[in-house]
Amino acid sequence: MVKIHIDEKPIDVEEGTTVLKAAETAGISIPHLCYHDAFPPEGSCRMCLVEIEGLPKLELACSTQVRDGMKVFTKSEKVVEARKGVLEFLLAEHPLDCPICDKAGDCKLQDYYDEYGLFESQFRESKEKREKKDKIGKSLIHDEERCILCRRCVRFLREITETQELGVFERGIHSRVNIYDLTPVDNNYSGNLAQICPVGAITDEDFRFKTRSWFLKKGESICPLCSRGCSITIEYHPGFSHFGVPSRVYRIQSRENQEVNGFWICDMGRYGYSYLSENRLDKIVINNKEWNIQPTWEDVSYFINKQLKKLDERKKTSQTVLILNTWLSNEELFLIHKIFKNDQNLERIFFADRPQAEKDDFLLTAERTPNKKGALEMGFDMKPANPGALSDKTDLLLAFGSFLAEQISAADLKKALEKIETKVLFTSHENELNSLFDIVLPTALIPEKGGSLTNIDGKIQKFSPVFEPPGDSLPEWMMLADLGRKFGINSSFYGEFKTPETIAKEIENEVPFFREQK
Amino acid sequence: MAEKVLTQHFGLKSVYQIDEYIKQGGYEAVKKALKLKPEEILEEMKKANLRGRGGAGFPAGVKWGFVPKVDKPKYLCVNADEGEPGTFKDRYIMSHNPHMLLEGIIITSYCVGIHSAYIYIRGEYEAVALRLEEAISEAYDKGYLGKNILNSGFDLDVSVHRGAGAYICGEETALLESLEGKRGNPRLKPPFPASVGLFQCPTVIKNVETLSNIPQIILNGADWFTGKGLPKDGGTRIFGVSGMVEKPGIYELPIGTNLKDIINKHAGGMKQGKKLKAVIPGGMSAPVLKADEIDIPMDFDSLVNAESMLGSAAIIVIDTGTSMLDVLKAVTKFYSHESCGLCTPCRIGTSWINKIVKRMAEGKGSKKDIDDIVRLASNILGKTLCPLGDAAAMPILSIAKKFRKELESRL
Repeated sequence: MVKIHIDEKPIDVEEGTTVLKAAETAGISIPHLCYHDAFPPEGSCRMCLVEIEGLPKLELACSTQVRDGMKVFTKSEKVVEARKGVLEFLLAEHPLDCPICDKAGDCKLQDYYDEYGLFESQFRESKEKREKKDKIGKSLIHDEERCILCRRCVRFLREITETQELGVFERGIHSRVNIYDLTPVDNNYSGNLAQICPVGAITDEDFRFKTRSWFLKKGESICPLCSRGCSITIEYHPGFSHFGVPSRVYRIQSRENQEVNGFWICDMGRYGYSYLSENRLDKIVINNKEWNIQPTWEDVSYFINKQLKKLDERKKTSQTVLILNTWLSNEELFLIHKIFKNDQNLERIFFADRPQAEKDDFLLTAERTPNKKGALEMGFDMKPANPGALSDKTDLLLAFGSFLAEQISAADLKKALEKIETKVLFTSHENELNSLFDIVLPTALIPEKGGSLTNIDGKIQKFSPVFEPPGDSLPEWMMLADLGRKFGINSSFYGEFKTPETIAKEIENEVPFFREQK
Repeated sequence: MAEKVLTQHFGLKSVYQIDEYIKQGGYEAVKKALKLKPEEILEEMKKANLRGRGGAGFPAGVKWGFVPKVDKPKYLCVNADEGEPGTFKDRYIMSHNPHMLLEGIIITSYCVGIHSAYIYIRGEYEAVALRLEEAISEAYDKGYLGKNILNSGFDLDVSVHRGAGAYICGEETALLESLEGKRGNPRLKPPFPASVGLFQCPTVIKNVETLSNIPQIILNGADWFTGKGLPKDGGTRIFGVSGMVEKPGIYELPIGTNLKDIINKHAGGMKQGKKLKAVIPGGMSAPVLKADEIDIPMDFDSLVNAESMLGSAAIIVIDTGTSMLDVLKAVTKFYSHESCGLCTPCRIGTSWINKIVKRMAEGKGSKKDIDDIVRLASNILGKTLCPLGDAAAMPILSIAKKFRKELESRL
């Protein structure tokens, strides 16, 4: 450990730490543009220059390592002047695009000018004119005039994806970043480029001109689109008081998690968020002509409970069938296991998930099952659903999720389901499949509820709701806890489960894998 | 004992051919060095106080001492980029006496344990590069290069690599990048090339003139060498005089020779009818001296005290018939064109200043512009990733300070 002073504040840091990181741990932020935690220091923007006692010139905080007894000043006159100087240079050749630039509100240049600049422009010459709407590949648009040549994008493609589509051309003031000879950016991580660009040079068509960043709220979540479970930030619009907005979720950004996805997410996870808003089921649908009022969950829960009790009196194990999926959280799978496998001794429990698809060498897994490990550890043996097993002497079918349609053909499914007396579906989206069920209950998706998922490496990741589920949708755990209470075996046990956290605590007590992970 | 260290054979026809060179006593230094222990050579070099002749003036013996004893190949890079405007001495050395350079390369490599040397020569010196390659080929034929040189067990390979027209590639770390086939952008220091250099291996980078001094030092000893110059600053320098003098050209003189004498005695004084206005003493990056400031010994420390620098010892003589605004224009045009573009202050600063000066030269400038130039150059000085920023800022600041009245009068 090394003892240093930053702005007269004493700090203890490990040897080998840079001044920039040491300051960060002490809550002192030193402005920087080209530095990014994912890459070794570049030292080209010169924004992070600080004064170190005993050294004649200002030094870079991003690449200078601390030494015992070092005294650093991040706000001295010399430093303030140097920062203003660098800002002035950057802004001199930077186009005044703020009113039309997507990065506004999120832009480092704006932020630093606001904090360290506030001077009038002294530039009286003509700014360099360059390409402004270059399509450089996938959904990225590059504006060479806005580019401050921090080279984060070049370094990302060289060190992370190792595809090197971008390079710097020419030298001096004519330097510009662009793609080599007709080889556009074409990899599964291109979206990260727009995220790491500190200014609006690389922007995303997916977000272009749709909204302003200051209208958006941010929430932390986990991506469920494969088994990696990358940490993400969901940016959504809470709506205006007098008129609506066309969509709720506007953007997914990656969130740092050194144990799962590092700093990045893949393009599939980044751009595949339309399912959160499109075709949502938001009220209970009844396709059975016997009901003639719009029921609530209370009504439906009593109905299901009645059916379960009826079957319980007969030989229960072969009468009820459950179809589950791995989008269900650990808490939900635990409740299902307890209520149906434990309390009611059900054997016929199947899984229907999205089929396997392509993977890549980095984060994307071939499996599209966000909680498969959780299901296995909970004690399920993950039998896939098939039409024969479904209809064989089945009186009650409880299905979770609409992935059945992806595994069994529509014709086979219709035939199988016709033979079942009562069919209940818990799903989040409208789907052709829904009309085959008697009762369809709207469910909340991962950003709309709390819980935890276990990823492909066995890492348990907790998540909290980012926004409310639409309409009458409810999280599955809430409905399951209610069913468990109503069934009668051990009502007080299920009655305790008022939040996902209480369920999680119980899982830690009962299930060995989760107890060990604590 | 030789009077001169470097130029004693200049003017002798064909001394660039190995047979003639050997007749004049060539390669005796190599023979002597290969019989000595590397540590002995290193000691002698440190005693000689040979400072780098590229511009920075770092003591050569000390630099060699920085190379760590690790189990990695070590490299020697000869900086023959000679990009500093006003400098042409290395060109003379390589054209007239390439074998002298090769001897220096061989002795240095033997001392440090290097088996691969590259001569990075600027692409514009094609004729010189061809002569070097000829000389190298002759040296291989005679067994002074290649495997088991003169049966000493020491191997050395030397090759010539041409640059592609960038001043920045004369900066040692940008030179390494260029040699590796990448963009000629400088690297962050630390780590220094002595430990992490070419292909991440320990590398010694030396200027042509510096290396060319080594054979004579080995033959005649460190004391002889320091005796030719100053105790802390040994030997002679090749001063390259250009501009409005009677006899522009190269002059090998002891370090510490007075600038006044170099111009008036050796270079024949001002051309007929011209009066002296200013002198740039060490290549275009050196701050300018006014006509009344040239009574100064030409050694590293004296010039630093005069707020200038010895640099590459290229003396540019400016007369009263030349507008300092034109000089400023040439300076800013050069640096904005040569900036590599990696770091913010140099990339944008040199271009911005150039745009202002161009406007001033078109008659559309104002006094505020001179203030702006000074302010911008001060924001470049000391804030850049490599010394090119300083090399650009220093002459601009010195011209704006010392010749402000003239600049204002030309607005």
